[in-house]
Amino acid sequence: MEDVTSFPAGLRVGDTALSVSNLSKKYCGDLKRALFYGLRDIGGELSGRGVRTDALRPGEFWALDDISFEVKRGEALAVIGRNGAGKSTLLRVIYGLLKPDVGQVRIAGRSEAIIELGTGFNPLLTGRENVEVGAALHGLDPDATARLLEMVIDFAELAEFIDAPLMSFSSGMKARLAYSLAAHLGPDLLLVDEALAVGDLAFQHKCIRHMRQFVQRGGSLLLVSHNVQQVQTVCDRAILIERGRIVYEGDVAHTVSRMLEQRPLADASGLADFAANGPVRMGGLSVRSVDGAPVRTGRPVEVTVRYEADAPTEVIWALSIWTEDRWTCIGGTVDPVARRVDAGRGILRCTLPALPLLAGRYIVRATILDASTMYPLAVESARSRECHVDVSTDPDPVTNMLIWANQLVRLDAEWDEPHGTGPDARMERPE
Amino acid sequence: MSDTVYSASPELRRPRLFAAKALADLRASGMIAWRLLYSNLRVRHRRAFLGYLWLLLPAIGTALICNYIQSHRIISIRPTALPYPLFVLSGMILWQCFVDAVNAPLQHLTAGRQLITRSRVPHEAIILAGVMEVLVNAAIRIAVLMLILAFWVPLAPTALLIPVGVLALVLLGLAIGLALAPLGLLYDDVGRVTTLAMAFWFFLTPVIYPLPDSGLLLFNPVAPLLVASRAWLIGRWYGTFGFCIVLGGSIVALILAWLWYRLARPHVVSRLG
Repeated sequence: MEDVTSFPAGLRVGDTALSVSNLSKKYCGDLKRALFYGLRDIGGELSGRGVRTDALRPGEFWALDDISFEVKRGEALAVIGRNGAGKSTLLRVIYGLLKPDVGQVRIAGRSEAIIELGTGFNPLLTGRENVEVGAALHGLDPDATARLLEMVIDFAELAEFIDAPLMSFSSGMKARLAYSLAAHLGPDLLLVDEALAVGDLAFQHKCIRHMRQFVQRGGSLLLVSHNVQQVQTVCDRAILIERGRIVYEGDVAHTVSRMLEQRPLADASGLADFAANGPVRMGGLSVRSVDGAPVRTGRPVEVTVRYEADAPTEVIWALSIWTEDRWTCIGGTVDPVARRVDAGRGILRCTLPALPLLAGRYIVRATILDASTMYPLAVESARSRECHVDVSTDPDPVTNMLIWANQLVRLDAEWDEPHGTGPDARMERPE
Repeated sequence: MSDTVYSASPELRRPRLFAAKALADLRASGMIAWRLLYSNLRVRHRRAFLGYLWLLLPAIGTALICNYIQSHRIISIRPTALPYPLFVLSGMILWQCFVDAVNAPLQHLTAGRQLITRSRVPHEAIILAGVMEVLVNAAIRIAVLMLILAFWVPLAPTALLIPVGVLALVLLGLAIGLALAPLGLLYDDVGRVTTLAMAFWFFLTPVIYPLPDSGLLLFNPVAPLLVASRAWLIGRWYGTFGFCIVLGGSIVALILAWLWYRLARPHVVSRLG
């Protein structure tokens, strides 16, 4: 499975660090069958001829299907995709835990991986002993092991707990130890699988900083993460995997945006289906400026909802504004008064006197709720009927600065003149 | 700088590389195995009230029961060179070394499932730690046996050969255990069948009775190892030739079982999840 041959020394940034070619791995959904196939594969291995691994047997499916990509030295590649897309399987094949069924993986140098929150540790051993096992696995001598331990403990900030058995560690602590160990074993290729999903924010930032430095120094990184922000901060390029195949490959922003497009609107679609049969239905939602000009920051805008009611109903209606990727709700507002809508068609309208949104594209959603139960009767958010709104901002240096700082909303404030109290005054803490 | 390649081709296509990797893993395993052994020993009796007594209880219990059966002539057993209870006790302790060695690989690999599916720790390290634990247990048992024996019979200098006998039993057991391990990791049935088979094998081995002069038992590979070792306790040489044959065979079988395990390993691991 593993082939160690000499490699020209003196690798430079831009050289290929990892090359995956036509990689496929199959699994069998039925356990009994999978075990039986296991026996047959062992038999094939024993004969030295192997069994045909490039065809599916009954019950099998491709967990990875003809995957090819390269990672250069000094490059960080993100592997993104939904749960069950095959990301973790890919990482395990690259790490050498699983044998490919077709194709091959070639790594220049040594790889280290952080897989599923450090489950590769022995729970009975202490943190220190687990690090020592890692060191032994790399053939480190006692001096090098001692140095490694010091660096790992220091980076993971686990000095107090390092002599406790690993089973007493929280998942965040395990992740810290796992990351710290893998990072300090001096890999050429670092594989990180959702390892930073837990743990405190400060440590996540530390890891992100470390990953960026690692890549800058010529290391190669493969990052599997659900955290879009993290992926975009660390990686330049990404591949999107779906059902074991690469469906998109490109710069990280485009790949992430492609994944988000395919993200189902789990929150609202069910409600929308239900609401289609409710006593009040929404027929359309529009956002426009009061004076008919393009929607601009700070100007009044009018939101209009068309509805159709089967019977007179007391309703409350609400608005919410979302980022275009549908992940973040920036804000919203709810009509404080219950309104009576009569049977038939009609319009609900409200005005936002000064739109706080900065330039960009947003999604506006509306909900009509039953006034007495607050149960949603109609939800305007099914993607086909979503209302996009493009906001532009009158250019001025301050606003440009806000946009540049990724701010979405400008707050109105009244600013006071400074009140000096003389040179002897001290800062007072608010009680 | 070296290039690492993981490919779909069968390992035996490049036998030299296969052997080199096996040896490299074995070399790396020693130190890891020590660490694992240390922690295994530390935690194994954490939840047991009787602790290390468990090492001796089965042998002592069997010796007492067999003594009762024999002294009341429920079953007639030929006279033995050692006093009968001591004969059974020493036989049981040697037999247990063998059984422990058969069980060790599967037991420790199953316990280390997380480790073998998520890290590159050589499986050899886990198995080796298990074998070391078997040897530690054997040492404790043999030490106690010697103390008890010394109280009743004069110990012969040949008793110093007992570690060789124990080692031979462990090697044979390990070869069997290792050969079964890949199948045992796939199918639970293998573990159960092994337990059952060990019970039958026990009755076909001269543990609680002396070796008969003829019959099926002469083909039982455990018999020469156990009988020769037990004879050493009282300064007798018995079946040394058979002992050497089985020992040699066990070593060859162990190497083959190890290589077989390594071939099967990737297919087993990918089905352990």
